[in-house]
Amino acid sequence: MTDFLTDWGLTLVTFAPLLGALIMMTVPAGKTHTHRLVALFASLAALVVGALLLVDFNYGDAGILQYVVDRSWIDVINSRYILGIDGISLPLLALTLVVVPLCVVYSWDHIPHPGNPKAFLSLILILETGMIGTFVAQDLILFFVFFEVVLLPMFFMIGVWGGENRRYASIKFFLFTLFGSALMLLSFLALYFLSSDPITGDPLRTFDMRVLSDVAGAGILGVTQVWIFAGMFIGFGVKVPMFPFHTWLPDAHTEAPTVGSVILAAVLLKLGTYGFVRIAVPMLPEGAEVWMPWIGLLAVIGIIYGALGCLAQTDMKRLIAFSSVAHMGFVMLGVATLTDFGVNAAIFGMVAHGIITGMLFFLAGSVKERYHTLEIKRLGGLLVQAPRMGWLLGFVSMASLGLPGLAGFWGEFPAILSAYSPADGLPVGVFRVYMVVAAVGTVLAAGYLLWLLQRTAMGSPKPEFADNDEIVDVTPTEWIAWLPLLIGIVLFGVMPGLIFRVTDPAVLTVLTEFLG
Amino acid sequence: MLLNSFLLLAGLLFCIGVYGVLVRRNGIMVLMSVELILNSVNINLVAFGAFHGDVGGEVFALFVIAVAAAEVGIGLAIVLLMYRNRLTTDFAEADMLKG
Amino acid sequence: MIDLLAFARPPIDWHAAAPELTLLACGALLTLVDIVWLERAKAVSATLASFSLLAAMVPVVTLAVDGTDRAMFGGAYTVDDFSLVMKAVFLLTAYVVVLLSTDYIAKGDFWESEYYQMLLSAVLGMLVMTSARDLVTIFIALELLSIPAYLMATWHKVDLRSNEAGLKYYLMGVFASAVLLYGMSLLYGVSGSTMLSDINATISNSQAEGLLAVVVLGLIFVVVGFGFKVSAFPFHMWAPDAYEGAPTPVTAFLSVASKAAGFVALLSLVFVGFWDRSDVYQPLLWLLSAASMTGGNLMALRQTNAVRMLAYSGVAQAGYMLAPLAVAGESSATADDALSSVVTYLAIYAAMNLGAFAVIIAVARRTSSAEIDSYKGLFRYAPVLTVAMTVFLMALAGIPPFGGWFAKFEIVLALLSPGTAWGVVLGGVVGLNSVIALYYYARIASYMWVEAPPDNVQSSSPIKVPASVSAALILTGLVTLAFGIVPQWVGHFTDVSLL
Repeated sequence: MTDFLTDWGLTLVTFAPLLGALIMMTVPAGKTHTHRLVALFASLAALVVGALLLVDFNYGDAGILQYVVDRSWIDVINSRYILGIDGISLPLLALTLVVVPLCVVYSWDHIPHPGNPKAFLSLILILETGMIGTFVAQDLILFFVFFEVVLLPMFFMIGVWGGENRRYASIKFFLFTLFGSALMLLSFLALYFLSSDPITGDPLRTFDMRVLSDVAGAGILGVTQVWIFAGMFIGFGVKVPMFPFHTWLPDAHTEAPTVGSVILAAVLLKLGTYGFVRIAVPMLPEGAEVWMPWIGLLAVIGIIYGALGCLAQTDMKRLIAFSSVAHMGFVMLGVATLTDFGVNAAIFGMVAHGIITGMLFFLAGSVKERYHTLEIKRLGGLLVQAPRMGWLLGFVSMASLGLPGLAGFWGEFPAILSAYSPADGLPVGVFRVYMVVAAVGTVLAAGYLLWLLQRTAMGSPKPEFADNDEIVDVTPTEWIAWLPLLIGIVLFGVMPGLIFRVTDPAVLTVLTEFLG
Repeated sequence: MLLNSFLLLAGLLFCIGVYGVLVRRNGIMVLMSVELILNSVNINLVAFGAFHGDVGGEVFALFVIAVAAAEVGIGLAIVLLMYRNRLTTDFAEADMLKG
Repeated sequence: MIDLLAFARPPIDWHAAAPELTLLACGALLTLVDIVWLERAKAVSATLASFSLLAAMVPVVTLAVDGTDRAMFGGAYTVDDFSLVMKAVFLLTAYVVVLLSTDYIAKGDFWESEYYQMLLSAVLGMLVMTSARDLVTIFIALELLSIPAYLMATWHKVDLRSNEAGLKYYLMGVFASAVLLYGMSLLYGVSGSTMLSDINATISNSQAEGLLAVVVLGLIFVVVGFGFKVSAFPFHMWAPDAYEGAPTPVTAFLSVASKAAGFVALLSLVFVGFWDRSDVYQPLLWLLSAASMTGGNLMALRQTNAVRMLAYSGVAQAGYMLAPLAVAGESSATADDALSSVVTYLAIYAAMNLGAFAVIIAVARRTSSAEIDSYKGLFRYAPVLTVAMTVFLMALAGIPPFGGWFAKFEIVLALLSPGTAWGVVLGGVVGLNSVIALYYYARIASYMWVEAPPDNVQSSSPIKVPASVSAALILTGLVTLAFGIVPQWVGHFTDVSLL
């Protein structure tokens, strides 16, 4: 059994959803129930195999890659099929595996207009394969392929099942991301051609991420590293999204169907930050050192800008989208310090943001379904009309603003703290300024979330909705879809060590170049 | 005679042919201009073949002549078809396809 | 008395010529059947044509298994890995075109048997082209594939648009081949031989320095001549008109096979004939490539007709394929990379472009139009066709995991590998253009998925796709996907060298 898991486990986890999608394509579109079952089964299958992997994972050695599969793939360009997980991939993999089945469950009776559950659910499954693949791939080209696989299903999800402005939002999402990944690919190619063996000086000509991380940019001049890093910075930065490249996110979130928003917020954004931690930083340490103060700057601009943006929003989903920009700012600030502490906080922040913001989008979707609007000024009195849902909104908002004891806290607080003493070589003074600004950002976050809560949950219902029978409290499907996330928020809030223990050894490996 | 005079003649024919193709808008005239170019090619080939003492040039020229005949046959058929359908061989008037 | 017995015919390697001979024999048989059976021949002509193509595949496979390089007529006609791979591409492309044509030609007001005879002779020309290493052979192959193509473009005889397409294609085509011939005659004049290897030997040695102007002129004319054939910017103006007016299966054939044949000729000319004159052909091809990519994409952005859009996108794709040739001369390692990247691109391009045309043919059965607007809402009534079209368009745009990404990737890899500034800049141009191109491909995709169907299209029932078109769709779709997910399959075959 263990042998089987070691050899096939990751492949199975990655492709089980895709297999489900392929099966669904052979079933006629009319059989809605079959489609739901197949989708649920496929995503659960991935979850089960993933859980087995998690149980079997050697936590003592979380710093090294496990379940490594290394097979030939495209020999003509020296690219191989290499999979593997370590402490950095593991929490994100687990997050993906949990969120997707929940989305399938939520879609049970929430297929957005214009229907067609067959297409909708198969897109979710294809998305899952792409996301999992990105987290487990250990070859740059394989990583790139999975990174791009995610693009089309999301494009269609927004374009077909989205709101009024879906065409604009979907094309914008598509073009932004693709522009970024074109530059990213150029950077990968530069790594391929320029990396050389640190001892013999021979060109390596490999896309193997393990090797490239080990040689840590040997043979590439500092100036060149800065340029290559710039390419990756844009590629990953668009996905995160970092401050100047973030404009696609509010549009995409506003127009996307609920499940699309949840997946986008919970997992897709992490592909960018994961790319920074896994690829950009370890492979180009000199480039990273030059860029990090700037990334830190953009991160804190993102924090403040996102928070201020939130305060100016009239739409609940758009507000949550802007809060994502702010939260991802904290994550990037953690990465920018290049310290063990900061990067661990960043990874924790990714998971926490995934759970919390995913949950917020679920709530927003359910509110929209009941009120047919997300305009904050038309909402109100959720606590009166749907008390449980109102309380959930309050609870998740608290988690989002970083209340100690809930998951959000452990992403933000250590990230801010880590900016106090960034890695050697980074300007300490500058980072301390960032720290102060980021701390102000948390206050603003508390402001906008409480404002949101007060406007939507408290007070009395607006007359137009006062006697509306459609406004029911949380339904059983919703409970099933949400409960795991709610548990996660509390569990990781109370026991952050669950994640830190796994990530720390891997982060130490990634940061070898900076920790001496 | 020098090789140059043949090449000059061929070059001249080539230029006249290209000019004709670019300027004339009548299908038949364009075809004739192309024939001029092909003949300039033949002169070149034969002259060069004689210069090098190699029969390859003449053989090539024969092939060109034969193929050109086939080409013109097809071309006239297409022009004729067009003439039947719209009573003109002026392809400036063939403007159903934008571009 | 001339001693007749002293004549000995040059040795012929029958195995090497078997694909061409098989096709020739089958083509003759097709003609014979048509003459003898008259009307009754119509029913079998498509079947016979597709069997001919498959029959010709057999010797290609046996030659590939045998694996030895063969040369006939003093090297004027060679059979090597490169030519075999391209022969297979041409035969399979033609097979798919037959699948696309079967229903279209049978239902429309067309001459049927003759259509397939023309198709087979054009394919014969393409097969000859892959092996031709001599100016005369290249010329004959070019005409053998072009002349039937002119006729096929005009096949819809009563349709004025088809007449116009054929006429424009014909006039541009003969003009291009005349210019090409003039260039060939100059090269012959410098070298005194029509063999590409001899030409390379003479134009690169010091004696030729005095004739440099003639060599340059000859090279330019030859490249320009084939620039027309592969519809490179600015020699592309015939393509959109011819593509739009010609019957759609013919357009598919022209845009894939005819273009590929032009590339095959260019490849053998560059890698065998002009190899040592990289100082001349590299800048020329660099310009041609950059202009084609940019010009093609910018013009494709404004198109309102899917076929015209694909025509301009074909111009851009030709630009991508020309790009590696602009750095090929740097070293022999680069040359190998460049050659195999172009061959890979041609193979993948054939699959994805034919697939896109298959969808256009299927959709036009309902909408009777190839206007981009008529694709609105396709997802609502033809989800399978929509998914297929999306796959092909995204493959053309180069998005993983569909075939096109690998093709483009190999091109960029070949451009960057020598590390010269020219190569890197051109790589950047390729990258930039891929993003521009994405816009118009994504626009069709979003029309199909996002918009509601237009009123004049009856969208309540699914589109009935004829079996042969479905077969073509499945074939091209599977190949497009397979090449994207397991690129090694194509990479293994297209990893060829000419030097």
